[in-house]
Amino acid sequence: MELGRLEYLQALVTEFQVTDSPEAKEQVLANLANFAYDPKNYEYLRQLQVLDLFLDTLTEDSETLVEFAIGGLCNLCLDKTNKDYILEANGVEPIINCLSSSNEETVMSAVTTLMYLTTPQSRQQTTALPVVECMLRFSLSASRRLRNLATVFLEDYCTPLQVEEARNPSKHTAVGIPLPKD
Amino acid sequence: MATGGGTGGGLGDAYKHHAQLGVCESRAKYREGRRPRAVKVYTINLESRYLLIQGVPALGVMKELVEQFALYGAIEEYHALDEYPAEQFTEVYLIKFQKLQCARVAKKKMDERSFFGSLLHVCYAPEFETVQETREKLQDRRKYIAKATNQRDCFVLKKVEGPEKTVSKNSDCPWSIPRSCVTGNWDPSCCTSSHRVSQNTGCPSGNHNRSLLTFPQYGNNCAETSGYFGQSTSLTLNVQPGRCPPPAPLTQQRTVPVDNGVDRFMPRTTHLQERKRKREEGNKFSLIGTSVDNTEVIIGPQLPELPKVDMDDDSLNTSATLIRNKLKEVADSVSRTSVEKLETSSAKPPVKQRRRI
Repeated sequence: MELGRLEYLQALVTEFQVTDSPEAKEQVLANLANFAYDPKNYEYLRQLQVLDLFLDTLTEDSETLVEFAIGGLCNLCLDKTNKDYILEANGVEPIINCLSSSNEETVMSAVTTLMYLTTPQSRQQTTALPVVECMLRFSLSASRRLRNLATVFLEDYCTPLQVEEARNPSKHTAVGIPLPKD
Repeated sequence: MATGGGTGGGLGDAYKHHAQLGVCESRAKYREGRRPRAVKVYTINLESRYLLIQGVPALGVMKELVEQFALYGAIEEYHALDEYPAEQFTEVYLIKFQKLQCARVAKKKMDERSFFGSLLHVCYAPEFETVQETREKLQDRRKYIAKATNQRDCFVLKKVEGPEKTVSKNSDCPWSIPRSCVTGNWDPSCCTSSHRVSQNTGCPSGNHNRSLLTFPQYGNNCAETSGYFGQSTSLTLNVQPGRCPPPAPLTQQRTVPVDNGVDRFMPRTTHLQERKRKREEGNKFSLIGTSVDNTEVIIGPQLPELPKVDMDDDSLNTSATLIRNKLKEVADSVSRTSVEKLETSSAKPPVKQRRRI
């Protein structure tokens, strides 16, 4: 059974890599992302380098593929090994880029992934100023789900100072620089 | 992103979010599941203790609906969403489970099920969560993964204990905490701030939380599944590290007391059995005659003793007494069951009437 699972996941990865059908690609990626929800699969997914597959897919043009890939990352990034791997592979940057997607699910997954990837070491990256600014905007969103998520991010993952800085963008860029006379 | 005003239930984004996606027809053979499904990725963001049930026939069957769903776990709240757009002659309901795991199972079992002649569409409704509920959901997922992967990666969240969203709006106090505590693999020794005391520090729990939330009837369902998932969605309660917290605060905080639901769905047979047991006990005390023998229950006025027949033999006498007693017992039980039958039949009509309404 366990062997069967690895083989099955291998078949999915292979199909994702060789298929020319965008449809099949989406379906397979969704499968893999859903498998990434269950911690039992983490070992296999690492073995098959699915983490890289997800990270690489973040830069695809297809919105659907990006949505599924960030969903997969969101599902597996709490695991310590996976988290370290993603941070090592400079995964934070493409994840932050997902915040500007027009697809709400993509944005939601990206926010949660950033929360889950936050460690004392990665904090500077995951709560960088542009990210906090983004969260401030999301916290006013009409979508209650997004609003809630952004509020949790601001309250639990950022310092009041960070939030304050993001609220007043003019302050932090020009602190201490005297205004030109005349 | 969604349009529309997000007052109350955030119905603005409900339309798109809950539109059922088309079933995927082009799956390769080896990827075909047991049931036809759309292509969708589930994350913790999409899941919720809130379930939205669409397609409920407008026949006044809320009670039956809630009873059905209560089979999968304790329900904390439920109500009809009158303002929610619905197909003609159908209604939409919102049910909030106490545990995410129960909502999961209920969704799986009830989605696309026939109910009073109409197909139900059940989906998660995270847009009804409060900020605090969203926070807890994310935190529970964190604990679950830590437990499942045997990692002590406890990210302790601030304000986990506050049940109301208003608590979270303060901006001054929490920030005295050293930041390293709040993020990542913190060192417990650095967290000495006093307002942390009541929090669930350390252990990825779930077990002892569960114990206070299981109820007699539904305990089995929950236990069976959450044994695997080990998630507890209800951290709101001021769960102290101690093992058996009192269940009282839980029921007080909720809009709909949980007891109500449980009481209401207590199986009728249990009710009847309980009543019968009590009656029997009462009978014993009130009707026990002069007899010292506890096992012998005498009903009615005591008749003059039957003349004892002496069989001239100890062993024969013993047998005779045994037979006499046995006969008495049988006669007793016959008269008692007939009384019960009368009572149960008189108790039944109200139930049937309720069904017909």
